[in-house]
Amino acid sequence: MDNLLILAFSAFILENIILSQFLGICPFIGVSTKRSNALGMGMAVLFVMLISSSVTWLLYKYVLELFSITYMRTIVFILVIASLVQMVEIFLKKVSPALYKALGIYLPLITTNCGVLGVAILNISKEHNFLEMVVYTTFIGLGFLFVIYIFSMIREKLEFSPVPKAFKGAPIALVVAAILAIIFSRFGGII
Amino acid sequence: MNNKDNFFKGIIKENPLFVSLLGMCPSLAVTTSFENALGMTMGVFFVLVLSNLLISLIMNNKKLAEMVKPVRIPVYIVVIATLVTIVEMVMHAFTPALYFSLGVFIPLIVVNCIILGRAEAFASDNKPVASLIDGAGMALGYGLAIMSISIFREFLGKGTLTIWGDLQLNLKFIFDFLKIEPIAMFVQPVGAFLTFGLILAAITAIANNHKNKLAKEVKNNG
Amino acid sequence: MKNNGLVSGLVLLTIGLVCGILLSVVNYFTAPKIKEVEDAIKYAALEEFYTLADYDISEVSGEGDFGTIFIFKEKGTETIDAIVYTVRAQGYSDSTKVEMLIAVNSDLTVQDYKVVSQQETTGFGADIVDNDFNVSVIDDLSGFDSVSGVTKTSNAIKTCFTLVGERIASDLGGGLNE
Repeated sequence: MDNLLILAFSAFILENIILSQFLGICPFIGVSTKRSNALGMGMAVLFVMLISSSVTWLLYKYVLELFSITYMRTIVFILVIASLVQMVEIFLKKVSPALYKALGIYLPLITTNCGVLGVAILNISKEHNFLEMVVYTTFIGLGFLFVIYIFSMIREKLEFSPVPKAFKGAPIALVVAAILAIIFSRFGGII
Repeated sequence: MNNKDNFFKGIIKENPLFVSLLGMCPSLAVTTSFENALGMTMGVFFVLVLSNLLISLIMNNKKLAEMVKPVRIPVYIVVIATLVTIVEMVMHAFTPALYFSLGVFIPLIVVNCIILGRAEAFASDNKPVASLIDGAGMALGYGLAIMSISIFREFLGKGTLTIWGDLQLNLKFIFDFLKIEPIAMFVQPVGAFLTFGLILAAITAIANNHKNKLAKEVKNNG
Repeated sequence: MKNNGLVSGLVLLTIGLVCGILLSVVNYFTAPKIKEVEDAIKYAALEEFYTLADYDISEVSGEGDFGTIFIFKEKGTETIDAIVYTVRAQGYSDSTKVEMLIAVNSDLTVQDYKVVSQQETTGFGADIVDNDFNVSVIDDLSGFDSVSGVTKTSNAIKTCFTLVGERIASDLGGGLNE
């Protein structure tokens, strides 16, 4: 239990997917100009990440390792993620139009979100068991949601701030991210 | 467009990292040392050049192209993922130290937007040779960008420049001369965001300046 | 063209198969080299503990928190002289496990230990590897020196020692041979 708590905390804050592992930077900079967009993107990533990590973990343990073709990992994982994203999209459209409306436009972007593939691979290379995998993935996804949401609030304010001309857009966003990264890395003292 | 322009557009005018902001994740993560950035560049170069060539060969064959069209994105992904896996295996076997320090970012070349982006935007409707040159230019442009970030980060953070393996420039004397320590922050995540942000701002400033000058000239002439 | 979906699917499948075969060919050439590299890393660490030529070394794959266990027997006999454990434990600041090699002689004295893979927060981690934890006998951790300020990692290392301490007695009694 202790271990799981530590795992959850470090996945959420210390090893934050954006601020310390640099995965999923594109949506972090690109889709964080508005709070509602950030929330939608974060939810979509959390959702897809959890499904795809579970599927790829099972595939790896029960198919790839069994036939000792673990070198096919990258190719299999990316295809699984791409087709899962499609399926999730179709499924949501049928079952929950409201949710589809909220998340739909973010789903195609997720296939090339390196966070999703990255977490699937990290779960394998860190040798997590199934429970650890679920906890790790959930909290990594929540960490993404949390940071992108905070970041979008800051960026909404930045719109009205007198930013030097050269810093407009991505450069100031990166500098803000640097400050966030300092804050997050200092949480290490808690445990 | 002639071959020369085709090659150089990837390095300056359409630089994938500094102008189009593509492939940011590895550019932040592997720039802690020059050696890592160089290794990443070689990986991206191999994958991008060959994927552009192969995809262009597939799409230039009329009959094949028609069959592939509805499933072209999965086809691109399979081709790219295969090339990336080859890079991964070769690096693991022959440059293990580099393999371990790049870690998860080698397989993640698959989702580097530059590669799929060039496949879709250029290689799918251009001749193989042109695609090859485009790929080489883009990969080199990306490589020069991440290497320049890594030079700043490694020098400011550790006071060294690791070219390859044991070949290392020790520039600590500059810090000794100024009586300060290297700023460790620069090799930590914070430094990645900060360095990239500042370089990007500098480039924007230069570009703006250039634009203003051009505008002035036009005005004066008119 | 009729049946466009089917044809396209078949093309995708063919390309997938070609790529798969290509990869297995590359793998055939690189896999032995990769294994060699990993063995070299492993044995380079063991070499620091003992003179490898003096012993018969056998490997047993461990379970749970234990990785490969190397049993050092006196040349030509069945007496176990020493056991080197590969053991993993959770670090506190990171979800990556700390992996250690711990070499224990048959009289329960600790020959040496080494952190082999450890990707904890750079800076903290690097310091700790060079530290001496003041453990000389495996079933006595009272002198364990949990380096002040960097206790996150050293806790994981203490767990490694505890794990080895718990199973060493039964292994030395020949538990591994059964």
